[in-house]
Amino acid sequence: MRHTLTVLAIVAAAAWAIPVQGAQVLHMYSALDTAETQLYIPQFEKDSGIKVEWVRLSSGEVLARLRAEAKNPQVSIWFGGPSQDHIAGKKAGISTPYKPALDWTLPENGRDPDWYWVGYYFGAIGFGSNADFLKKAGVPAPVSWDDLLKPALKGQIAIAFPYTSGTSYTVLATLVQMMGEDKAFEYWKKLHTNVHHYDKSGSAPVTQAGLGEVGLAISFSHDLIAKGSAKGYPITMTFPKEGTGYEIGGISLIKGGPEPELAKKFVDWALSVRAQNLMQKWFRIPLNPKAEVAKGAVRADQVKLINFDAVKAGEDRDRLIKRWRSEIGQ
Amino acid sequence: MDGLRKILREPVLAATIGVIAVSLFLFVIYPLFKVFQMSVVEDGRFTLHVYGDLLSKAFERRPLYNSLLLGTLVALAGTAVGYLFAFAIARADVPWKRFFRVLATFPIISPPFVLSLAAILLLGRKGFITRMLFQGQWDPHIYGLRGLILVETIAFFPTAFLIMLGVLQAIDPALEESSLNLGATRWQVFRTVTLPLSIPGLASSLLVLFVESLADFGNPIILSGNFHVLSVQAYLHITGMVDFSGGAALAVILLLPTLVAFLLQKYWVSRKSYVTVTGKPSPGRLSVDPFTRRLLTVLCLGVSGLILLFYGTVVFGSFVTLWGADYTLTVKHYVSVFLIGGRYLRDTVILASLATPITGILGMIIAFLVVRKQFVGKGLMDLTSMLTFAVPGTVVGIGYILAFNERPLLLTGTAAIIVLLFIFRNVPVGIRAGVAALQQIDPAIEEAATNLGAGSGRTFATITLPLITPAFFSGLAYSFVRCMTAISAVIFVVSGRWNLITIAILGLVENADLSQAAAFSLVLIAIVLLALGLIQVGVGRVATSQMGYEAAG
Repeated sequence: MRHTLTVLAIVAAAAWAIPVQGAQVLHMYSALDTAETQLYIPQFEKDSGIKVEWVRLSSGEVLARLRAEAKNPQVSIWFGGPSQDHIAGKKAGISTPYKPALDWTLPENGRDPDWYWVGYYFGAIGFGSNADFLKKAGVPAPVSWDDLLKPALKGQIAIAFPYTSGTSYTVLATLVQMMGEDKAFEYWKKLHTNVHHYDKSGSAPVTQAGLGEVGLAISFSHDLIAKGSAKGYPITMTFPKEGTGYEIGGISLIKGGPEPELAKKFVDWALSVRAQNLMQKWFRIPLNPKAEVAKGAVRADQVKLINFDAVKAGEDRDRLIKRWRSEIGQ
Repeated sequence: MDGLRKILREPVLAATIGVIAVSLFLFVIYPLFKVFQMSVVEDGRFTLHVYGDLLSKAFERRPLYNSLLLGTLVALAGTAVGYLFAFAIARADVPWKRFFRVLATFPIISPPFVLSLAAILLLGRKGFITRMLFQGQWDPHIYGLRGLILVETIAFFPTAFLIMLGVLQAIDPALEESSLNLGATRWQVFRTVTLPLSIPGLASSLLVLFVESLADFGNPIILSGNFHVLSVQAYLHITGMVDFSGGAALAVILLLPTLVAFLLQKYWVSRKSYVTVTGKPSPGRLSVDPFTRRLLTVLCLGVSGLILLFYGTVVFGSFVTLWGADYTLTVKHYVSVFLIGGRYLRDTVILASLATPITGILGMIIAFLVVRKQFVGKGLMDLTSMLTFAVPGTVVGIGYILAFNERPLLLTGTAAIIVLLFIFRNVPVGIRAGVAALQQIDPAIEEAATNLGAGSGRTFATITLPLITPAFFSGLAYSFVRCMTAISAVIFVVSGRWNLITIAILGLVENADLSQAAAFSLVLIAIVLLALGLIQVGVGRVATSQMGYEAAG
């Protein structure tokens, strides 16, 4: 019995001791797709010699987790996700300012005025239709928000929950800023009858549309290309003629995070030409003007954008989501 | 008082009881208490308004109805299929018994959501059956109640099968034989003898399946569509909305029907078991008429075919280049399992291997204490240690993040929290196996050792442990499987340092990266089978060495 207890004690101690504190480990929540995160992290690890331990969560989930962990932050950096979610994070007090040294200027909407977050890429909301479905259903690809309400699309649309997904919250905030709040909710109630189901992750609907499990996905243009047409799925990408919303993908340093210096190094690296060139593989638009843009990626001047107020969207997030849940009932 | 004095005379025993009592309190009771507290305390004051808020809104109430409806339907369907298999094997003498047995237990060792994955591959809008059989003209609507009934029935009927098999094998065929001799038809025998004697088993199976369905997370998060259930809603409240009190309240709401079912099962149904084992030799197996046997064979073949079809589709899907667009065969998904999934596999195996032996030993010690020793609070220890088995993983997971997120019990982000979760979720299995084995062993053997001067510890290590080794290994096997395939509770406590393969697979399925998810699932199943094989070899060796010992003695 005494031996058994000793063994138990040793094994238990080992279990505690195993997360060895290696010299240089950066802990991160990534709101980018797993496959996309894997484009950047190994390169950063190679360039900097810093090891990154990361968890992929949708950006609403990152925000929720950071708020839950505020007393005891587990990570030092939040990588990716629309700026409005980062603005909501600033409002919730989970981030801390850092001004990276740049030899170029971030656009005005590309950073927090007090540097609580910095921008990293640009992407616009679009519609991705399964071409086979369109042919079979005999409907043209939607080119306006109203087209999404057509009866032919009943039970055919996939989108994420606005509270888990930054993508979907961007759609909600876009509609609210375009139509006014009440009209926007009226609109979503009608849209809801055409929604097949809601996902947790904003880019998940793309593959589902590619696969044909649903007819159409509402998501960001880079995800529509990277996870849709570029992978070989028959995805037709269109944009609403009334104008669409967009995201500036952000990075925030976490207040009280365990490795602030490593996190700063990551921000510097992420804004470098070298890192910004990597996003060609995911068809995002880099903010660094010296970085190259992938062929086929959708730039801001190629679609009609609304005058999107990310700060307002970030500040209204909690209220709009509460209203969304009670009106849509999801 | 006599008991207390006896224990105090044995410090090791007293210390063990103390350590176990404290651990059970910390890792079983305290997290549940935190969940409850979170749902009723606001700004330091007691309030029920979280529940009021939840229950006043139709869309927050619906998941409760949905979960209860799904649980009831799955309990009925799963028990029916389980009974069918058990009856066919134990009573009807159908051919290919081994084959049916293996298939009817296979879903236990596969990760829960693999069946949902298969359902999408087969019956989704671009599923194989949907396209081939119905040319896409008919949508089976598997996202929602229908799909969930299908996959949960396949996933959970093995439990019903094992329960019913035990019950049917315990019924003395002599009873059925005599009623047959007294002129009853075979159908009358079944209706008036076999079925009534199986009723406690049926009730127990219904309750257990109801609980399993309610607690299921892996399938509904993939397949529920707009049919929301409690376990997923509680998860979304916490991970998506930072609504800890709402999530905790949903968890409590999920816990209530589960606890009622668990207590009913433990204190009511299990007392009603009609044991008919008499010790007299039974005459040969009682059989059914050829027509019934053929009918049962066909039914069992049908269900087996369905199970094979589901898993076969996953195998096929794992070799397809891009499901839905390009059906060329490839092994690239397996290559990336080891390239990008290596760390998930490694972490999962390490954590499961750490937790499994501790779970097994702890289970045996608790079983030994409960069966053999007298001490204050013994009943409570028994009940507490079984509790984690009944409590849905979602509730436990929420409890762990609430309980262990602050000093002095700061465990979030460590491997310890995952290992502890594994241990206390699975220890009931070890305990059950240990209790069953101990009850077969005459305490006189242990008393002899004690009389010869051995203390409790020595008696346990040299007499009891070797005798219950087979039970110990089967406890190990089961708990390893549960660690490798766990998702509902651990999804709340994973961190960047420790990643679990089930959670990676869930992400892949959500992203409709179906072939990659299929390849991951199959590698996971292969690891589980390999581990089971190794444990089997271990048991075999122990058994032979014991036989050698007996022969020599």
